[in-house]
Amino acid sequence: MTELTLTHFLVLGAFLFCCGVMCITIKRNAIGILMGVELILNSANINFVAFARFSPTFQLEGQIFALMVIVLAAGEAAVALAIILNFYNNHATVDVDRAEDLKG
Amino acid sequence: MIVSLIEWLYSQAMWFSHTPGRYYVLATLLPVTAFLLLLLGGGIRSLVRPLRRTEPSARFLYYLLGGDRPLRAGAYFATVAIALSALLAIVGLINYLDEYSAQLQSPTPTYYARWAENTTWASIGPTAGEHQLPAVQLKLGYRIDHLTAILFAMVTVISTCIFLFSLGYMRDETEETVTDHEVHLPDHTHLHRRGRYGRFFLFLSLFCFSMLNLLIADNLFQVFISWELVGVCSYFLIGFYYERHSASTAANKAFIVNRIGDAGFLIGLAIVWSYFGTFNFLEIQGKLRCPDSDAHRKGVPVQLAGTILRGERMADQPRLVQLTSTGSLAVLIPDHFHAGPLEKGIIDSPDPLERNSQFAVMPYWLLIVAGLGIFLGCAGKSAQVPLQTWLPDAMEGPTPVSALIHAATMVAAGVYLVGRVYPLFTPEVLLVIAYVGAITLLIAASIALVQHDIKRVLAYSTVSQLGYMMLSLGVGGWTPGLLHLLTHAFFKALLFLAAGAVIFGLHHQQDLRKMGGLSRKMPITAFTMLIGVLAIVGTPFFSGWYSKDQIIGQALGFGLTYPKHLLLAILPIVGAGLTGFYMFRLWLLVFTGTPRDAHAYEHAHESPWVMTLPLCVLAIFSLGIAWGPQFWSPEGSYVGQLIEKSEPDAVVLGFGKVIHAAHEHHLLAGGLALAAALVGVGIALAAYSLRKFDIARWQAALPGVHRFLERKWYFDELYNVLLVRSTVMLAFALSRFDKRTAAPGDADAADRRVDPSSLDGAFSAVGLLMHRAGLRLREVQSGLLRRYVLVLILTTVVMFAILSILIA
Repeated sequence: MTELTLTHFLVLGAFLFCCGVMCITIKRNAIGILMGVELILNSANINFVAFARFSPTFQLEGQIFALMVIVLAAGEAAVALAIILNFYNNHATVDVDRAEDLKG
Repeated sequence: MIVSLIEWLYSQAMWFSHTPGRYYVLATLLPVTAFLLLLLGGGIRSLVRPLRRTEPSARFLYYLLGGDRPLRAGAYFATVAIALSALLAIVGLINYLDEYSAQLQSPTPTYYARWAENTTWASIGPTAGEHQLPAVQLKLGYRIDHLTAILFAMVTVISTCIFLFSLGYMRDETEETVTDHEVHLPDHTHLHRRGRYGRFFLFLSLFCFSMLNLLIADNLFQVFISWELVGVCSYFLIGFYYERHSASTAANKAFIVNRIGDAGFLIGLAIVWSYFGTFNFLEIQGKLRCPDSDAHRKGVPVQLAGTILRGERMADQPRLVQLTSTGSLAVLIPDHFHAGPLEKGIIDSPDPLERNSQFAVMPYWLLIVAGLGIFLGCAGKSAQVPLQTWLPDAMEGPTPVSALIHAATMVAAGVYLVGRVYPLFTPEVLLVIAYVGAITLLIAASIALVQHDIKRVLAYSTVSQLGYMMLSLGVGGWTPGLLHLLTHAFFKALLFLAAGAVIFGLHHQQDLRKMGGLSRKMPITAFTMLIGVLAIVGTPFFSGWYSKDQIIGQALGFGLTYPKHLLLAILPIVGAGLTGFYMFRLWLLVFTGTPRDAHAYEHAHESPWVMTLPLCVLAIFSLGIAWGPQFWSPEGSYVGQLIEKSEPDAVVLGFGKVIHAAHEHHLLAGGLALAAALVGVGIALAAYSLRKFDIARWQAALPGVHRFLERKWYFDELYNVLLVRSTVMLAFALSRFDKRTAAPGDADAADRRVDPSSLDGAFSAVGLLMHRAGLRLREVQSGLLRRYVLVLILTTVVMFAILSILIA
């Protein structure tokens, strides 16, 4: 076993980010897209924490940022769920492809 | 309250007595007030017309403003306004003459300010610093001198007569529907339209305003504004019956031919502005003509005073200009200068800011160009060869308009301006003016011999008389030329109004061949017109004699002083003979002999008093306007002596020898002119009254000459071939760039089709391209969230890729 280095964490973060983007682009379900967004946020969190761990100058900042992102993600989830609920009320579906009333 | 009103009126009266020149401003503004009121009334009427059936207030306004019938009140108002102007002008003239003679007795310093004011309208250039003057100022203002005061009174009096006459002459236009028998509609009926009484007086008022403004202006710029206004008014009035093709064409012709002249005028203005920095007549004169003493009251060399200084640059010192009488540079004289250096040579200062204190130079040839340009404008307005073709066509307008154009306003403007900017003209330009005038007077008089339309004969006689005026100005007869402008205005207005009365009495018959014997039916018209004819022919003691005799005397003096220009003396004498013939031919054909058209003669009638009264007034003026204490001498004319008081010094300086010769050979000139006129009148009497011989035999003997004169020397044809046709062809060719080639029978599709080979098509193609691009691009806005995200991500990736390549 080799020792865990910064690169490992960054690769994990990038992988998670790609999963999130994949999730947003592929899913038609609005809840699924919201989950993809959460994945992207968390991939960023992993990077923050990893940099905090491996960089002596960013110890505190990285962790505080990660906490901040978690709080914001909670808020974001609440707002997004409210939008999704309203959308469901109007269209009786959560399929984002049906959200095209404003298209050109 | 009444007390305060009286106080107010008193203060206003004091205002006038403080600056009596404002009589003239008020008199100028009166016609434009009438114009604005008529315009407002007509505008409101046509605005509320659609609402008159539904809105009670609109109906009230509509019927208040005359309803369906044209309103007469506007015309009466315009007439009263111009009559008030005439009153003010006469009061102003009397005041001015009084004060002028008082001023000669005991000079007062405020005299000048009382009769001239100006205000800065726009100023351009550096204004920094308290003592530094702005580089150039555009000013509006008025200045009254003898010439302006007299011509102002003449224009307003004649206009009043013409307005009064028009009240009767245009009365057909007060009807709700007027049938224009000259316009043939496709369905073989005549045109029916609403009467245009108000419109006529509207433009007549604006016309008078423009002319009055032109007369009182103290600068070229204001003259130019009025100049264009006069042009556009003549356009509207010549085209008064604009449904007639001939009338609208004539209006266009008058306008376009005048534009050619105005192009020259503009060139002149540009040169004057760039070198003199002012448009004021007096300032131009002060810059160009050397005064007789300098800023320190030291006299300048006597041979230089009053002349245009010319010089040549020294070879070794380019800023130093040595004065020589044939130099290629003209020297502009500042307000403050020392006479000392004038003989040694002056320093040229190129800085425009130092215009007021330093000498400057301009190329002499540009001065000639400026003079020729301004004269070209005058030639356009005053119908001189080669721009004379519009004036006879202008006969398409109603006869009072012809009278106004030919007597008081438009054509007078050109001669007046030549008189005003006289100090600007170099001897070369004056010679051109003299020759143009002489040629014009002969050509026009020869054409007038054979015309059949009563108004056209008069039109050519106007052109011919204007030629006399220009000739006179050109050979140094400043006073005779402008005196002729004055006397001619009265008798030509009389002749035109009398012709109008004849046309009115014969129900719009203008052909001389259908008239005859009318003196029995229209005694007043016949008698007053005879006075006009005698005046224009130059019968002794009629007004025309005083001016024409002096003109011919001056021309003879010029011809004898400079024998190579003897032609300038011969042409006006020949012209006098031709004038005698064609004017008497006209009068005899109309009023004597047996009626040639029994039907027209049956229905002929004398005009109402509103038309004959102006005739009588004008006849009195035509007879006696030029009388003076020395009744028997043309130079004893009182008005002539008054006009002479505003003669620029340049005249005597430039033409002293000529004037001397003119005095010497005065009797000879008068005798020759009288003899020539007698021959002309005698031939006319023998041919048309005594029937000693048949004039038709002459025509048959010289068919070529007759046709040549009848076709007006083929000027119109020449211009058609040389200018009009090529211009029209060029226009058609250019219009192809703007046209699409439509598929036959598919008008709609042709509209949508884009043909990039045409100009319009090219613009449409650009528009269509944008449209199509927009259609494509709107598809990007699909509303599919997932696609947006994909695009976002791919964009980011591509951007990072580019960034990494750039950094690496």
